[in-house]
Amino acid sequence: MKYIIGLTLKGIFRDRVFQGIIVVAVLFLFIPSISTLSMRQVTELSITLSLSLISFILLLLSVFLGATSLWKDIERRYTFSVLGLPVSRSSYLLGRFAGNALFLLLTALFLGIIALAVIGFAHGMYPSARPVQWQTIGLAILFDTLKYVLLIAVAFLFSTVSTSFFLPIFGTISLYFVGSSSQAAYDYLHSSAEALKLISPVVVKAATVLYYLLPNLEAFTLHLQAIYGLPVDVAGLWLTTLYFCVYTTIVLTIAAIVFNRREMT
Amino acid sequence: MKKWLVLLVALTGYAAVIIPFTGYLARRPVMEKIGYIPDCRVLRFVSADHQALVGEFLVLKAMVYFGSLMDKSGNEISTPPDYLSMYQAISTGLKLDPYTMDAYYFAQAFMVWDVGKVKEANALLDYGMKYRTWDFMLPFFAGFNSAYFLKDYAKAADYYKKAGELSGSELSANLAGRYLWQSGRTGQAIAYLSMMEKGAGNEAVRKSFQIRLQAFQEVRRIEQARDRFHDERGRAPESVDELLRAGVLSPPPRDPYGGRFYLELDGQVATTSKFTYAAVPKK
Repeated sequence: MKYIIGLTLKGIFRDRVFQGIIVVAVLFLFIPSISTLSMRQVTELSITLSLSLISFILLLLSVFLGATSLWKDIERRYTFSVLGLPVSRSSYLLGRFAGNALFLLLTALFLGIIALAVIGFAHGMYPSARPVQWQTIGLAILFDTLKYVLLIAVAFLFSTVSTSFFLPIFGTISLYFVGSSSQAAYDYLHSSAEALKLISPVVVKAATVLYYLLPNLEAFTLHLQAIYGLPVDVAGLWLTTLYFCVYTTIVLTIAAIVFNRREMT
Repeated sequence: MKKWLVLLVALTGYAAVIIPFTGYLARRPVMEKIGYIPDCRVLRFVSADHQALVGEFLVLKAMVYFGSLMDKSGNEISTPPDYLSMYQAISTGLKLDPYTMDAYYFAQAFMVWDVGKVKEANALLDYGMKYRTWDFMLPFFAGFNSAYFLKDYAKAADYYKKAGELSGSELSANLAGRYLWQSGRTGQAIAYLSMMEKGAGNEAVRKSFQIRLQAFQEVRRIEQARDRFHDERGRAPESVDELLRAGVLSPPPRDPYGGRFYLELDGQVATTSKFTYAAVPKK
């Protein structure tokens, strides 16, 4: 499997994805000046922009790398030569996933360091009234990364059942939006008397089933805590980490089962 | 060869179009409306984990719009602002990110004087106090609104007390106590506007505070002259002109909003502009 991970990482660097990220990372240089548009929260705006930019880059990577990695191999018939080696299909799939996840982690680390420097610079120019919680910013980036690693797993699952890249790409993007708002929809349906009156019980039940079935990505978003230095619920973060491990394992296991049964013609 | 010819023609066309095109964009009038603000439930779904960014963007949009209405030469608002759209942008922004201070600050800057929506402004500030539990500015604004506009001194004292506890500043503590009554409305307004003007990072908003502060400083000058006149002559003056003629007020007061100061029947100083540009007809 190490061989496949190494191969995946090499492939990503060979495709000059990292150079592309460096070019996009130039946008970080504009953050301090854009932040001065704020009247009373320049540092907070610099944190908002930095976290959003990192999250956006990681989203693009997880969708496009995750959704095209397997599809490209199958399309180029590259899988035939690799699977001829003493590597099981599951190991191949997990290796590809781990390679992509590792690249995402490296990118998050690289962008995180730049973001901290940019926020430090903006804070130096216009100190905020409240101290910057650096560790919370670090946690926000880490949990964003976990979220997108989970999304890569979802993209892999779509790749194993699809013959084109449309389902993996658009399916992953759709799940990103649904997963980001499923908690808000659940809260609305279960706490608002107005919603219960307006919406049929069947829809409420279906939404509840989907809520448990689909990935809940909102728990991974710690942007507000990082921006305003709000306290974080440590026990909640451990639970989220556990949720990440369990959910990713389930998705990858299903992906491996489907991939094992897939006919490569 | 043919391809090169097509490219050359296209490049020549581009050179011919680009200058009038950029000229047209530069001459476009200042946008008169902020534009359509989608429902916050839609925005919440679409913005996914970028809600704080979208919230701040909406507030900045309202601020940039307001700034663009400022006449560059005279620092006056040349077009009546679309306050409803500004309010919609800010309240939607706050639903996406209830912590953003820019929104509360800006809403307070335009909602109370210019639009007269004091109760709505206080409702917004009460909403903000549930989130920004450390921030003394929100109860300070709400205290000023309650005292100055709503004349609800008990409520104002509660807000100022809260602001004093959070900031430890003497101003809020004093306002919560006897100073609230002793300082009078003009004193309260000057204290409040001085604080707002110092904290305004946006040039257009700072300018609007400076102008209002100048107006209230003029009011205070007239009030002092009125009291001096009363002490010297034992009676109340009938008009601002009488103060000028008596030599207790010099130079003549100037309302930066273009209005004219006058004395009400109870001796209070007022202005025909009501401290807004909107009340003065354009010449």
